[in-house]
Amino acid sequence: MLRERQIMRIHYITGLAALFVVAVHILMRLIMPFHMSLQYSNVIANYHNMPYVILLESILVLLAIHGFNGLRIILLELRQNRKWENGVTISTIAAMIAIIAFGTRTIIIASGLGVV
Amino acid sequence: MRTSNRRGLFKTAEEDRNNREGLKGWLNPSRYGWERVSYWLQRLTGLFLLIYFIGHIYETSSLTGGAGAWNAMLQFTETPWGHLFLILVIGTSTYHSTNGIRLIFTEAGRGLGRPGRPDYPYDALSLNYRQKSGIWIALILAAVAMFYGGNVLFGGD
Repeated sequence: MLRERQIMRIHYITGLAALFVVAVHILMRLIMPFHMSLQYSNVIANYHNMPYVILLESILVLLAIHGFNGLRIILLELRQNRKWENGVTISTIAAMIAIIAFGTRTIIIASGLGVV
Repeated sequence: MRTSNRRGLFKTAEEDRNNREGLKGWLNPSRYGWERVSYWLQRLTGLFLLIYFIGHIYETSSLTGGAGAWNAMLQFTETPWGHLFLILVIGTSTYHSTNGIRLIFTEAGRGLGRPGRPDYPYDALSLNYRQKSGIWIALILAAVAMFYGGNVLFGGD
């Protein structure tokens, strides 16, 4: 089991790393007029660019860890007893895994990596 | 299991450890000054951004349904209300990030000042101008980012 001090360190590191990768993600929307950057062909072209796919996956993982750990911290501040704390921890980890799996599915299909 | 009639002493029984004020106490920003407002905003913006993050992943999953599904989703989000929502996302994410960096410095002991003797009126030395200016910088940067985002989203093609 990780100690809370280690979990907070992970929380801060994922937050700072997410700040960097999300900034690149937003800049990719601004290299052309905003509405053009959202055209289907442009978005799919982005997904076929392997470094960008890695960037998207890292955003997904970093934000899921940071976001659901933040939710866990908020819920633990509201109430403290062993049953609640274990329930919150297990639920947030399950939700985090589900979101990462769902987002990864989109990335794999849209990038064509799933096509054999 | 040790317990005591005096509040705060030897409360080890699990039922005694529940936060009595619960959500109401958490949502009340009025008692502790700007630091409490900052604490409150950090959590509210965090929750809002988590909801947006989940919604954004769901929105993006329409890519797998082809151009038709993607364009249908864009019709739903590329509206003035959708843009206003995005501007709110820009503001909350800027505040959450800037204030988060301040909190990282604070947890590392930076910007807290030196410890001193507690004299009347017992103002906490740690809640100094550096901390307060950090909160104000976060709020001002969020406003600037929202203004810039509004210009990009509503500023024509």
